[in-house]
Amino acid sequence: MDAVRSSAVREAAARTFGELLERHEREIFAYALRLTGARADAEDLYQETFLAAFRAWPPPRRDHERAWLYRIATNKAIDAARRRPALVSVEDLSLAAPERDGVTVLDLANAIRLLPAGQRAAFVLHAVEGRPYREVAAVLDCTEEAARTRVSDATKKVRRQIE
Amino acid sequence: MSVVDVSDMRDRLLARAKREGLATVGYAVFDSPVGPLWAATGPKGVAGIHFGRGPSEWELRRLVRLYGPGIVPDPKPNAALFRELDQYFSGRRRAFDVPFDLRGITPFQERVLRTTSRIAYGELMTYAAVARRAGNGRASRATGAAVGSNPIPIVVPCHRVVASDGTLGGYGGGLDVKRYLLAIERAQVPPGGWPKRGA
Repeated sequence: MDAVRSSAVREAAARTFGELLERHEREIFAYALRLTGARADAEDLYQETFLAAFRAWPPPRRDHERAWLYRIATNKAIDAARRRPALVSVEDLSLAAPERDGVTVLDLANAIRLLPAGQRAAFVLHAVEGRPYREVAAVLDCTEEAARTRVSDATKKVRRQIE
Repeated sequence: MSVVDVSDMRDRLLARAKREGLATVGYAVFDSPVGPLWAATGPKGVAGIHFGRGPSEWELRRLVRLYGPGIVPDPKPNAALFRELDQYFSGRRRAFDVPFDLRGITPFQERVLRTTSRIAYGELMTYAAVARRAGNGRASRATGAAVGSNPIPIVVPCHRVVASDGTLGGYGGGLDVKRYLLAIERAQVPPGGWPKRGA
């Protein structure tokens, strides 16, 4: 009985901001880092995401708090990207990249950074974080079909960029 | 990127959440000689202490009912409590000065625990005596349950309440912990001066 109860407790929606933070802050920050490509921007995004979540409390549907946080983070990243279009050019960054044969992680990061915000989120979620299209669609609040299209368009652009 | 240290970021986030009034209660874990103690402090003082690294379901529900969801990991509001706990466990403190918030329990439980909070360091009181002082001498069973539901153990010294037959009775943190706490306090009493009877 106790085991049943404790597993039910683990899966229940967060009831406090603390629970929400402790469960998700690391992955949200990692996602923010991948979306923005810069630590300072990722820190801002982490902060804006959780403040928005606290202000909008409670999460809209039980057991979907994770998708809710990803959606907030994605929307905040898109807003920020619209306010502040690409500050750093690929050329500038590749000067700072270590010389190596083939494609460097930095090449990939740069290519991702050049994507429009919506495609970037879709690409990071699916191709970098390995989430299924169903989850990508939930985070981006679009159909699974639209999520596939965004990932596919993004993949083509990234490939063109690093080839 | 596999090890992500979010502590600085979290501090800044919580500072903003506090400024906006979104976060009102901070919790942290105190490593005591009787094991980890989870503690939460809010605007009205210490709101909860639990033996272990996290609160029980009952305690969390009580805190959310009292304060809403703005309960966050934050050691700062607990600093004074942790200092006093440290002094208590090393035998350098006989009473807690930090304010505490007993709301969120029934009026009877609150009367019982207020009475309990006035039992002096190193002294014992029976459940029946606590029941009498809380205004209901016939409710010693209910008093036992009320003492057992103490949301702020140690600070509200329910370990000083024992059974009428001189045995220890029960304790939320386990009887070993109750014995340990009483032993700290007994050491502070002059030789032979510690009451062993249950009255």
